[in-house]
Amino acid sequence: MPLENSWVFPVVESIHVIGLAAFVGTVILSDLRTLGLLQFSDTRNLKVWTHSGLAVMISTGLGMFFADSARYLQNPAFHVKAALLVLALAAHFTLRRSGTRFAAILSLTLWTCVVLAARAIADFDV
Amino acid sequence: MYNPLLELARWLQDTSLRLDLSQSTWGVPIIGAIHVLAIAWFGGSVLLNDSRLRRFRWIGLAILLITGALLFWSQPLRLYYSQFFRLKIVLMMLTIGTALLPARYDRLAMALALVLWAAVIFASRGIAYR
Repeated sequence: MPLENSWVFPVVESIHVIGLAAFVGTVILSDLRTLGLLQFSDTRNLKVWTHSGLAVMISTGLGMFFADSARYLQNPAFHVKAALLVLALAAHFTLRRSGTRFAAILSLTLWTCVVLAARAIADFDV
Repeated sequence: MYNPLLELARWLQDTSLRLDLSQSTWGVPIIGAIHVLAIAWFGGSVLLNDSRLRRFRWIGLAILLITGALLFWSQPLRLYYSQFFRLKIVLMMLTIGTALLPARYDRLAMALALVLWAAVIFASRGIAYR
């Protein structure tokens, strides 16, 4: 990583994780509510956190990718994450709008897999 | 001078669980991934300040603490000497401390806790690098 000895990369990565807590956290909550496993109100806050979390994750994610794209492109875990991310985002903005139980289960599964693959990027780093 | 924390880290370092964790290929990556999922679980429920989510929040926190303890167990001595890990523990204690503020400082306590949790995440990422 060209930024290996800089504080910039860990800081951007931390902001990515904070975005994850907001985005994936609120997506999990709303999917569990769709499935009838949780009850809560406060939907306006929920949407704000989901959208701002997603914006933070995408901008920091792109930043980290372009900091060393060649290295990510030869990482098998990154390929898996990218593919899952495309699927998860597509489902998020289409199927999930329907509010069906199927869409909620799909959303939970896809985002969980995205997080697992993302974490694995560090393990497959060469 | 006798240092109980260092002694604990040394003792954990010599347990067979530490060996199993640090030598297994998938152990630490999987526990780490569950730790990250629990950040989302716990983080989301903290952001939505709905009392009906209390139990959900405690489960998320419990998963965070259990996986965190196992991650610590996988390399106790390195973490004992990591400045960022020490910072993280101090920040976590301060976060818990916000719960002790009197009820009339409720909003202040919530804002402080959010800022501190963000600081905990910064310190945590730092551990991986130094």
